[in-house]
Formats: sequence, structure tokens, C-alpha cells
Amino acid sequence: MELSVDRLTKQYGSKIAVDCVSTVLKPGVYGLLGENGAGKTTFMRMLCAILESTSGEVFLDGREIVSMGAEYRDILGYLPQESGYYPNYTAKEFLLYMAALKGIPGDVAQKRVQELLEVVGLSDVAGKKMKTFSGGMKQRVGIAQALLNYPKLLILDEPTAGLDPKERVRFRNLISDYAGDRIVLLSTHIVSDIEAIADEVLVMKRGKVLTQGTVSELTKKAAGKVWELTVSPAEAKIWQEKAAVANLRHEGEQVVLRILSDDKPTEEAVSCEAGLEDLYLYSMREYLR
Amino acid sequence: MELFKLEHKKLWRKNSTRVCVLLCFFYCVIFGSVLVCQWLTFGSRKDYGTGSRDFDGYENIKDCQAYFHKYGELTDETLQEWVRDYQRLNAAVVEEESKQGVKNRELLKQYQNTGWETVNSMLKTLYPELERPDMFAVRIMSCYVEPEKLTGIYERREQAIETFLDISGQTGAERDYLLRINEKVKTPFSWKWVEGWSNLLGNAVSGLGSVIALFLAIVLSSLFAGEWHDNTSPLLLTTKYGWRKLACAKVFTGLSFTLELFALTAAGMIGSQLVFLGTEGWDMPIQTVKMIAIAPMNMLQAEIYEYAFTLLGAWGFAGVSMLFSARCKNHVLALLLSLSVVYVPMALRNRVPFLLEKVFDLLPLVGSGADIFRTNTFRIFGQYIWSPYLLIWVPLAIGILCMPPAVRGWSRRMRR
Repeated sequence: MELSVDRLTKQYGSKIAVDCVSTVLKPGVYGLLGENGAGKTTFMRMLCAILESTSGEVFLDGREIVSMGAEYRDILGYLPQESGYYPNYTAKEFLLYMAALKGIPGDVAQKRVQELLEVVGLSDVAGKKMKTFSGGMKQRVGIAQALLNYPKLLILDEPTAGLDPKERVRFRNLISDYAGDRIVLLSTHIVSDIEAIADEVLVMKRGKVLTQGTVSELTKKAAGKVWELTVSPAEAKIWQEKAAVANLRHEGEQVVLRILSDDKPTEEAVSCEAGLEDLYLYSMREYLR
Repeated sequence: MELFKLEHKKLWRKNSTRVCVLLCFFYCVIFGSVLVCQWLTFGSRKDYGTGSRDFDGYENIKDCQAYFHKYGELTDETLQEWVRDYQRLNAAVVEEESKQGVKNRELLKQYQNTGWETVNSMLKTLYPELERPDMFAVRIMSCYVEPEKLTGIYERREQAIETFLDISGQTGAERDYLLRINEKVKTPFSWKWVEGWSNLLGNAVSGLGSVIALFLAIVLSSLFAGEWHDNTSPLLLTTKYGWRKLACAKVFTGLSFTLELFALTAAGMIGSQLVFLGTEGWDMPIQTVKMIAIAPMNMLQAEIYEYAFTLLGAWGFAGVSMLFSARCKNHVLALLLSLSVVYVPMALRNRVPFLLEKVFDLLPLVGSGADIFRTNTFRIFGQYIWSPYLLIWVPLAIGILCMPPAVRGWSRRMRR
């Protein structure tokens, strides 16, 4: 299975939300990183065929997805950024309703819903109305609905938003187990989530895919660009103005700065191992100053 | 089917739906039917000055029905007998009052239970020359008309219809067409107590549509637009049946809900009717309510027509309301647009040219089922058509025409 995106563009008036994005997604977990307004949600909505593109197309195994219609939606699972729900429905009723919309027969749906409620840790509150749920609980119902039809293409827009650390770990394990021969695309601001489970990462900025590669490939790109420097608090302020400071931590009277720079910022700076977060922040370094 | 069931369940789960159904039932059945029969319309008048009434409608209705048992058919003789009896009772009430200084409640009740309102209206229609202008403000015609002069009732009726058509400017082919309909009206008329049926057909059932419209609009305006409010559109659209099948399920849910709301209300009203009025008089022609009505219908047929008119109109209105719901993201806007389709034409109908008024009548739930008592026509392709024939079908057709664009429009709009 291959999802290829060909020069996909979405324009709202004079604002370009997604700018001529081309990429190919094969089975695996893909992480989508980007600052707010980078075009991640718009891009994902077009991949789900719920938003018409201004130009460009998306193909699944060579077939244009909009023309595939119900056949495409049958293999798709989607969790929107702000997932809606029906306040007077219980979690179980909501999932059964979504199962019917996905064309899952009643008896199969009953089993699948029960199974998913256990997977997302909501089986105890399956009979409670969703209006009584916390944000994290609603998010877990949203994740469960996306998985109802065993989608071959799973698109999750900020799935870990609102989840506590324990739930985030549970979610990461769930996705890792689930992926297999499926395509999973997830966006998040929490880089560690992507670092833990993504086979490949796409970094978006101003509607474009800035870079794409495996975590190790991208980490390599950041290699030699991450420096640590120990300075006084007064100097730290100066460094924050003139360099891209990714992190700042106090150690006694001194301050340790993590600086992203192509060149060694000063003789005292020490090169250190780069992580995905460094690469991401390096891409966004103009915002760090 | 599964989708329809779930969508239907979803609609009924909403608090707003339950409250609307309850209010509609309460207003139409408890207030508009039970209280009207027991108190507001058929309760004994305590005093003619204030118009306040006792809570004894059931008893009065049975008395009224019993009073009319002696007549059976409407003929010159029975009409004269009624007038004599009425005048006797009226005189007795007046005499008793002059003797005692206060009205005798028992006599007054008997006098009220003669059903004088419809009979007096009949006299005014058929014998206008016997009406005395000097008595207009003092006494009703039944009090002073000489019974012996009330003859030739059915000839008088024919004459009254022709005069009415002349005054209305309905001449030539239109007049012939209406008179041909009238020829099927059979005489002599069965004559029982009329006022119960008159209230039922003239107010209760014919006014049902305008009440149902309010509650239907509230419920159905959120049927499609509510998905925007709940922010569930992206979820629905990415499911296998998230497009047309869901929209179709919603349309059928809207139609089904309309039927359920109607059935619940109508069943309550019919139940109340059976308790208070029973079935007596079902075979009376509607001309006993309005003498110049031309429809060859009895009371039962008229009631069936009015209920059918309301149901078909409600389905038509449901179609329009669902179209607005599908086209607007905001369900409040959809609600306002839906309400304006009914209540704006209703408010304007007496202020617009006659032709436009007739067009308004064709809109769902704007016209009235009580048009069966009238002689309105439409001229289509040179042919005259009696208005009730069109008023029952055109609103439904409008609703049906709205449904495909609602389904298409919703699917399209969701993707923008």
C-alpha cells in the first residue's frame, strides 16, 4: 500500500495553508511535526478527502482518493484535532453509532466496541454519558472510534493532546502494535511521542514539508549543530538574544544553555548529541530568538 | 436501516426534542383540546358580561347532544321548532330574572345548551331579509325572528351560495364548476349538535399545523446543522456511509419524527374528542356548520381531510426545514429561516394582493385545512381547481422537492 501526495496545495484567499506538498507514505508510523499554523491539520484533512484541495492530488495505490469515495473511507480511520461527540450519548452508544456509519455489522460492532473500550481504558465508564467525561476521556473515545474499522490508513491529528503521561504511553504502545502493514500518520507537538514510535518524521513549516526522514536520519542532520555552553545568568540573557537557545537549565550559580547553531558559537561551547527535538527546533530556530 | 434507527435514536436523545414533543402535546391536547372542551369553550357561562366559565364542559356537551336528539334532520319544520323552543327558553330566562332579580342558573344552562351560535349564524345566512338592523346590538336574530317565516331552507341555501359567488366575483366557468361540486351535497341534512364539530374542524384540527410548525422547526433545524454545533462533521465525513447514506438516514429520520409528533398529538386530540364529544354527528354534512359550504363531505370526512392536510403539510414543512438545516452551518439561522417560511406569510397574508395570498396558502402549513368550508379556487392551465385539492398536495410536493438538494447540499457543504 502506498499513499502518494502530488503537489497538494490549499489556498484560502491570499493565504496558502498547504503549499505544493509532495510525499509518499508507505506502511509505517509517520510523525508530522510543525508549529501552530504550519498546515498540518489542513494537510491531514485533505488526506482524509474531507477538504477539497486547491490543486494537486492524493493517490492510494495509484487511484485518486476522492474518486474512490466510500471505498477509500472504508479503509480510513481519522481522529480530528477537536473531535466532536454527542453529549447525551454514552461512550458505547457513540462508538456503536460510529460503527454503523463505518458499515460494521451490529454483532461485530458490539464485540469490537467492547474490545476497544478496554484498549483505551474506558470499559468501566462505557455506560456513562459523554458530557460527563474529561477532555482526556473524550480523546480516548475519539481514538477508539478511529480504530473501529481496523483502518489501513490511520490519520490522527494531535491524538495525545489532553492525555496524561500514563495514557500517552498506553497510546504509543497501542499505535506501535497496531501499525504493522498499515500507514499511520500522526501529528503532535510532543516530540518525544513521535521519537518513540515514528518510523519517519515529516517536518512542516509554512505549508511546506521542510524535511522528511527516519528519526536517525533527521537526528544526523542535526549532528554538529547542537552545543552546550555554561555561562553566568547575565550572559545567558545575552545568548538568548543572539542565538537559538533550545534549552536553559540552572546548575548552581551557573546556567547551562543548549544552543542550536551551524558553527561553534564560542570556544567554550561543547558539541553534544542531537535529538529529534533539536532537529525540530533547529528548523524553527528563527522563532527561538 | 441500522443507520436510520441510530439517527432516529440520536434525535430522540436530545433534550430539546423531548421538551418540544412534551410542549406540543401539552399545548394541543391538554390546553387546545381537553381544557377547551371542559372549560374554555363548553364550560357554562357564569355571566355574559365577563365571559368566565365553569369547569363543567363534559356535562354541557352531553346535554347539548341530548337536546338535539329530537330533531334528527334539518327541515323547515325542525328549524321552526328549534326557534320556538329557543324563544321560549329565552323568555323564561328573562321572566325569571325580572321576578328574582338574578338569572336562574339552571334555566340559563338549558338556554345555552340549545347550540344557538351555529343556528343563529344559519338564520343570518339564509334569511338576511328577516334580520332587523335595530336589533343588532340588542338581541340575536333567533330571539325575534318569526318561526313561520323560516321556510324553503334548501332553496334559500342554493340562493345564498349563488349570491355569495356573485359578491365574490366568481362567475362563468368558475361559478359553474363550484355549483357542480355543490350539486353532490345531499339534502335534507342530518341535524345533531353542531358546535362540537364546528369547534373541532374550525379551530382545533385546522390550527394544529401552525403549532406543529413551531416545534418541528426547533427539532429539525438542528438535524443537519447540529453536526456543526457538535463538531462531529469531520468524524462523520470520514466514515464509509458518512455522506449520502447518512444524509438520507437523516431525511428519513426527519420525516419519521414528523409523523411521530403528528401521530402523538393527533392521537391525544382524537382521544380527547372521543371522551368529550364521542362519535355522535359524524355523518352530518359540513353544511350544518357553514350553510354555503359546497363540499359534499360529512364531519368525519372533513376531519380526515384536515388531519391529512396537517400531516402532508407537516411533511412538506419538514422537507423545507431540513433543507435549511443542511444548507446552514448555524442551527439558529436554520431555525429562523424555517419559522419565517410559515409565520411570515401567515402574518402578511391579509396585507398582500389576493393572488399572492393564494400563493402563500400553498406553502407548507401556511394555508388552512378549513378551506373545505370555502369556495376558493386556483386556475391552472385554464382549468379551475377547488383549493383544498391543491392545498393538500402542493405543500407535500414542495417538501419532496427540497429533500434532494438537502442531501446534496449537506454533503457538499461539509467538504468546504
